[in-house]
Amino acid sequence: MKRLLILLGLAAALGAQEPVRWVQEAFLADPGPLDFVKGEGQEQFIAQSLCGDALVGLSAEGRPVPRLAASWKAVKGGLDLTLRGDARFADGGAVSAADVAWTFNAIASDPQASPTKRAALGDLKASGEGLHVSLRGSRSAARLLMELWRMPIARAGRADMGSGPFSCARDGSEWTFTARPRHFLHPRIPGLHFRLLPDESGRLVALQKGWLSLGVPPPQPGLTPPPAMAELIQPTLAQLIVWAGPGMDAGVARAFARWRRDAFPPALMGRAYAPAKGLWPAALGFAEMDPAPGPEPCPKALELVYTAGDGMTERLLQALAVRAARDGVTLKLRPMEAGLFIDQLTKGKLPLGAVSNVFDPDPWSVLGYVEPGGDLNFTGWSDAAATAPLMKLDAPESPAWKELQTVWARHPAALPLLDLRSVLWIDRRLEVRPSALGIYLATPGAAGWRWRE
Amino acid sequence: MSRALPGLAVWVAALALAWLLPGHLWHAARPAPFPLEALGPASLALGLMAALPPLLVYFAGPSLARRRSLSALEAPPDLAWALLLLALWPAAAGPPGWTAWTAALLAASLPSEARWLASALPPESPFPQAWGAQAARASRRRSLARLLPRWLAARLPLWLTASLVVERVFGLPGLGSDWMARVIARDHRGLALWILAFALLWIAARPLEREAA
Repeated sequence: MKRLLILLGLAAALGAQEPVRWVQEAFLADPGPLDFVKGEGQEQFIAQSLCGDALVGLSAEGRPVPRLAASWKAVKGGLDLTLRGDARFADGGAVSAADVAWTFNAIASDPQASPTKRAALGDLKASGEGLHVSLRGSRSAARLLMELWRMPIARAGRADMGSGPFSCARDGSEWTFTARPRHFLHPRIPGLHFRLLPDESGRLVALQKGWLSLGVPPPQPGLTPPPAMAELIQPTLAQLIVWAGPGMDAGVARAFARWRRDAFPPALMGRAYAPAKGLWPAALGFAEMDPAPGPEPCPKALELVYTAGDGMTERLLQALAVRAARDGVTLKLRPMEAGLFIDQLTKGKLPLGAVSNVFDPDPWSVLGYVEPGGDLNFTGWSDAAATAPLMKLDAPESPAWKELQTVWARHPAALPLLDLRSVLWIDRRLEVRPSALGIYLATPGAAGWRWRE
Repeated sequence: MSRALPGLAVWVAALALAWLLPGHLWHAARPAPFPLEALGPASLALGLMAALPPLLVYFAGPSLARRRSLSALEAPPDLAWALLLLALWPAAAGPPGWTAWTAALLAASLPSEARWLASALPPESPFPQAWGAQAARASRRRSLARLLPRWLAARLPLWLTASLVVERVFGLPGLGSDWMARVIARDHRGLALWILAFALLWIAARPLEREAA
């Protein structure tokens, strides 16, 4: 009888326990195999942020915070870092300077390495022994600290293994990230389970039926989350930008700067868009500045090419064309397949091209516009007056940034039309930390989430 | 062989196009691995698609092509079938899997394929209908045997890639998604392999089309 009572008591205690709640999520595109060297794309970077650790992370407020490196010191020509002693890869091996050197060297030398990581790496070289890492390159220490989050460290010789707070397993079209309780970030959720849901309608049904703990709803204005979910709106560093091809003068940029103020009806933009102001993202600390006044008139007929398939962008650009018509300018819109569009844009063959770009959370990410060969400098923009301020950009608060922006404002090659926001529906019981980097890429990212009791 | 030359030329041109497809991605991502787990459900769905319409047409005859009920089933696109199934799927049962995908794909494809086959059958009135039901069925059987290889080679690849819509709605990356992902990522080698597989299907179906002497 006593045994029976004990068994019944145990059964009751087990029954009363809160069920282990995994976060159910959806990828919008297949992230591909986990690869800390070659992996590219937003979904792949989310997977890497879960399974890997960078030397230095960025907090939700955008400040460098310790991750694999417990401390660092700015020295001439770079940084000296000391790694944590308790960081372990998925196979139990300790993270050492050799792994850092191998990862950075693989990104620099592999022709198929991620272009985003390669741009973040620049001419940086890593060396060291044990837990002491030396990073040397031409970039300032302040810039390095803001860019290192892009490069999680892989185990030497194993580009698919990281030391992050979750371990990853793929089964067909499902990805399971299981928490590693001994990780130094101490993840507070048991894990995340991702499905692939690229279709907006399918994702909406999954959110409404409670199959997802969080997800991106379709960008239709007027949609409201189901009662069990809350809407989270995060400012992002993404902008819809118009690039002017060769032969386009500053008059075109001035016209677009005028139109963007009142072209987009709020009901059309919904919560996901806001008219952009200035030339460079205000969220990166840049003062609002319009293209400099000048005598060049805007041509009466313009052709704007954009990537086909994005209905929302198309509707917003149609609103822009209506606004241009009020000034007597015919803005012809031409959709183009994404691969062909990028090919033509990067070769500087488009008269005007509109596409979204996500900036990194540091002011140096706009240098792609102005540096020769920069990843956003499609038309070979250059100005002799830019050389001097470019040499003095050693800190985010340097006055040279304003000087450089003033030079760019004289004849900008690109102009942001809209700032994009990230709209998420999240289970009310799940506590996450929003940031401009999204909910995953900041530190501690998903390791800091927790279920409210 | 000379009769096959125009067809072969088309496949070679398609292969060249896949290999030389212009354009590139801004931040080129590696294409996802081939969805091996989709091969089973896809084979089952294609097997059912290859078997059910001929059976239906064999029993219903060429008049099936003029049935209004078939038109009503044929009208909704595969997206509508997939969304309807998703909306009706009980929330407590969790997200639908490959069974739902197969059901939506068959609902979308079978009516059109049955009509395609029924319209392609020769008329049965006045003959062989006048010779009796047995003669009519024999005529249908022979006609279907002639039509089947050509139909399979022409239509099945189409459905294989058209299943993309249903795959996207259910979140099940299958063969259609793989094909499209390789076009987007400009995976020239993967695309060429796809074209080669379709061409082999066409070549394999050709001997079956030959008229008996």
